[in-house]
Amino acid sequence: MITNLERGRSLRLERRPDGQLWAEQGGEAQAVWVRRCFPWSEPTRFVSLLDSEKKEFALVPDVRALEPASREAVEAALAEAGFVLQVDRIDSVDEEVEIRTWAVQTKQGPRSFQTRLDDWPREVPGGGFLIRDVAGDLYYIGTPSALDAKSRELLWAYVE
Amino acid sequence: MPEVQNQNRELVRRYTDQPARLPAELRSRIEAEWDGAPVYLYALADLNAQLTLEHTWVALGPERVALAQQSEDGEWELDHVRRDRIQAVRDAPGLSGSVLTLLGEPDQPALARVRFTHRQRRAMENLKFLLEEAVAFGPSADSPGSAAPDRERAPDVNADDEYARSVAGPIREAQALVSGNRMAVIWRLLGYLKPYRREVTIGFLAATVITLVSLIPPYLAGYLIDSVVRPVQDGQLSQGRGARIAWFAVAGMGLVYLVRQAGAVLRLRMMSVLGEWVARDLRTELYEHLQRLSLSFYARKKTGSLITRVSSDTDRLWDFLAFGVVDVSLSLVMLVGLSTVLLSLDWKLGLVMTVPVPLFCLAIYRHGESLNRVFVRAWRKWSRVTDVLSDTIPGMSVVKAFGQEDREKGRFRERNYAVTEEYNRIHHMWTTFWPLLMLAVHGTTVAVWAFAIPRLLETGETALSAGTFVSFLLYTTMFVAPIEVIGQMARTINRATSSAHRVFEVLDTEPEIVDVVESVRLDPVEGRVRFRDVTFGYDGVQLVLKGVNFEVQPGEMIGLVGPSGGGKTTIVSLLARFYEPTGGAIEIDGVDLSRLDTTHYRRQVGMVLQEPYLFHGTLLDNIRYGRPDADLEEVVEAARAANAHEFIVEMGQGYDTVVGERGQTLSGGQRQRVSIARAILNDPRILILDEATSAVDTETERKIQEAMDRLVAGRTTFAIAHRLSTLHKASRLFVVKNGRIAEMGTHTELLGIADGLYRRLHELQVELA
Repeated sequence: MITNLERGRSLRLERRPDGQLWAEQGGEAQAVWVRRCFPWSEPTRFVSLLDSEKKEFALVPDVRALEPASREAVEAALAEAGFVLQVDRIDSVDEEVEIRTWAVQTKQGPRSFQTRLDDWPREVPGGGFLIRDVAGDLYYIGTPSALDAKSRELLWAYVE
Repeated sequence: MPEVQNQNRELVRRYTDQPARLPAELRSRIEAEWDGAPVYLYALADLNAQLTLEHTWVALGPERVALAQQSEDGEWELDHVRRDRIQAVRDAPGLSGSVLTLLGEPDQPALARVRFTHRQRRAMENLKFLLEEAVAFGPSADSPGSAAPDRERAPDVNADDEYARSVAGPIREAQALVSGNRMAVIWRLLGYLKPYRREVTIGFLAATVITLVSLIPPYLAGYLIDSVVRPVQDGQLSQGRGARIAWFAVAGMGLVYLVRQAGAVLRLRMMSVLGEWVARDLRTELYEHLQRLSLSFYARKKTGSLITRVSSDTDRLWDFLAFGVVDVSLSLVMLVGLSTVLLSLDWKLGLVMTVPVPLFCLAIYRHGESLNRVFVRAWRKWSRVTDVLSDTIPGMSVVKAFGQEDREKGRFRERNYAVTEEYNRIHHMWTTFWPLLMLAVHGTTVAVWAFAIPRLLETGETALSAGTFVSFLLYTTMFVAPIEVIGQMARTINRATSSAHRVFEVLDTEPEIVDVVESVRLDPVEGRVRFRDVTFGYDGVQLVLKGVNFEVQPGEMIGLVGPSGGGKTTIVSLLARFYEPTGGAIEIDGVDLSRLDTTHYRRQVGMVLQEPYLFHGTLLDNIRYGRPDADLEEVVEAARAANAHEFIVEMGQGYDTVVGERGQTLSGGQRQRVSIARAILNDPRILILDEATSAVDTETERKIQEAMDRLVAGRTTFAIAHRLSTLHKASRLFVVKNGRIAEMGTHTELLGIADGLYRRLHELQVELA
C-alpha cells in the first residue's frame, strides 16, 4: 500500500476521447475507474484507481496534490462516480404498506422515491444524512437545519 | 401474468416520476426510422451530461440503438447508433448513478454515453447484456452448443413489460402487494367470515343487544325521578304504588344488566373463538400455499418476513376480526343511538352534547397522527438499541479480545438514554392529551348544566324535568368509549389492511411449476437425462444458460466443473425442476420433464448440498425424512453406508438424539453424512451432489468421499465440485463457463486439449497441492 501511495505522486491522468479515464505511471498506461475510499469523511483524499479487473492500479493520497490537468480529469470522473441526489426540500413523506414514499426537490430536479419502513436515514461521517431508496439510489441531505420549516418538520421523525 | 404486468405499470405510474412505457408516438417514429424494424427492448436514462434529472429514452433494435430526447417544444430529437459499429460496451457504476458507454473504434470518441440513476439500472443492464452478447459472439459466431446469437433473434420478451418489470422490481420486492383499494382488501378479509355466518350473526346480535340495553339504565333513572319520586313527593302518587313501580324499575335495571352481561359473554366468546378459526384458516391456507410455491419465490422473500406473515400477521387479523370489526361498527351504532336518544329527550340540550362529538373524534385522530410521528422516531431509536445488541452479543469474543467493553457499554448507554427520551416524549404527549380531552368532555357536561339549570328552575312548558337532566348526565359518560374507538378507527383499519396485504400477497402468488393435466409418472426413473438447447434466465432477458446440450446415460456420473457463476448450479436446479427452462427442453428417459408428475419425479431425485439442512427432530426422523416408513434395519444400513453410524452411536441417545434448531450441535461433516444417509435411504435414481465435500477437514472429506462413492453406485449422478480430485470416479466431466458447456469428455480427454479450461484448472490445483 505504501508503494502505491508513493507511486501516486508521479501519476498522470487524462480523459481520452471516448470519455474513459486513463492513468499513466512509470511508462505504463491503464484505463482506470475511480473509487473514493472515504466518500463522506474525506472525499478528496485516498482515491483508488481500479483497472477493468477491479485491481488497484494506484492510490491517490490527495487529489489536490495532483498536477492541474490530472486533477481536473480525476475530479470529472469523481463527479460521475460519486453522484448522489442532493435534497433541497421535502414536500411529503407518506407511509404505505411496508414502504415510505418521499416526494422531494433535489438539486438535480424533483423526485419521488420509496424506502423500506425500517430503513432509516444514515448520518454520514462528514455531516449530513443519507437516505437509500429501494432501488439503491442515494439522497443526501447536507445540512438538515438549513432546510425550510416544513421540510424540517417532516424530517424530524427520521433524523437525530 | 398480464395482471402482474399491469401492476408493474401501475407501480411505475404511482411511485416514480417517469412514464410507465415508451411513448407510443416515439416508438412508432423510431420503428419508422428503422424501416419497420421492431424495438426489442428499451430503458430510460434519467440523468443528462450535467447530472441533472432529464429523460433520454434508449431503444434497442435488431440493427440500431436509438437515443431520444424531447425538446422544449415537445418534439422528439432522435440519434441512432448502428449496432455493427459497437465494438464494446462499458458500464461505470457509481454511488447513485452509472454511465453506459457504447464504444466504436479504439481511441475514437464514444458512439454514445448515457447516464442514469440506480432506478434504471435493471432495464439498462438488460440492454447491455444483449449488446455485449452480440459483440462477443457476433452474427457468425454460432458455436456448437451455443444459443443463436442475440443479434440474429429477437429476445423472447415484451419490451413494455420488461421495462415496467425492471423499474417496478425494487418496489415490488419491498412492498407486499400493490396497495390497491383498501376497502376491497377489507371486504376480501371479511369474506373469510362466510363459513361462520351463524357465529357472526350471533356475535353481532349479542353486541347490538349490549349496545341497545346500555341505553336503558339512564332512561330508567330519569323515569324513576320524573314519574315516581317527584309525584310521590308532591303527593300526586301514593307511596305504595310509587314503591311498586320503583321496585319494578329496580328489577328491570337488574334484568338489563343481566342481559347485558349475558350478551357480553356471548359476544366475547363467539367473536374471539371465531377470530381464532379465521386466523387458523388463514394460517393453514397460507402454509399450504407456501408449500406449492416455487423456489424463485423463496429467493425473492426473506424467511423472517414469511414467518411473520404466518404468525404475527394472522394474529393481528384475529384481533381485527374478533374485536376491531365489532368495536368499530358498534361504536358507530352507539354514537348514533346516543345522539338520537338525547335529541329525542330534549333536542336543545341534545345539541349541546352531540355537536362537540365529531370534534372530539377529530382531536383523537389528530392526536394519533402526532403520536405516530413520535412512535416512528422511537422505533428508529429502538432499532439503534437492538443494533448494538445484535452486533455485540454474537460478537462478544471480538469485543473482549480487543478490550472494547467500556466503549460498547458507552454506545449502549447513549442509545438507551436516547430511546428513553423518546418514550418519555410519548408519555408526555398522551398524559397531556387525555386529561385535556376529558376536560373538554367535562366542559360539555358543564355546558349541559349551564344550559339545563335555568330551565330546571323554570316552570311551564319549556321547563326541564329533573329526570331528563339526570338521564342526560348519565348518557354523557357513555360518549367517551365510542369516541375513543372511532378516533382510532383509521389506525385499526390501517394495521389490519397492512397485515391483510402481506397475507394476500402470498396467497395471490401463483406457483411457477405447475403439473400438466395428464402428467406422466416414470416408475421407476431409469436416469437417462438429455438437455436440448436449454436456455434459462432468472429474470427473462439475461440468460444464465445460453444453449446447453448433452445426453447422459443411466448410471453415468457427470462432474460439473468451471468458474463460479458459470451455470453449474442452474443446470442441476433445472434438473430437479426447481425452475422451468426459458427455452429448449429437458428429457428424462425420453419424456419432457415438464410433462412429469413433479412430486413423484422429485421423490426419485436425491440431493446432497454444500450446506445440508437438518430439521428439528431426532437423527432417526432426519434420516427417514424421505421415507418415513423405512424400518430401523434400513436406517442403520444407510447410516453405515454414509459413514454416519459410528458417530451416531457414540452420542448418548444414538439415533434418538435431537438435532436441528435448538437440538444437539453436529459438525459440518457429521451433518453432511446424515444427509448422505438420508439420500441413500431414499434410493434416488438421479443424484445431485452440489459441493458436498467442501469446507471439511481431510479426514472427514475421506469419510464423506467413501460414503458418496457408495451412494453414487448405479445412479445417474451430477456432481458439482471445485476440487477436481473429488471427481475421480466421474465417467465424464462437463466444463461449464458463461452459461455454455465449454468442454466435455473424460479426465484424460480434457487434459489432452491444449489451452483447455479443464487443463488450466487441473494444473492450477496440482500446483496448489
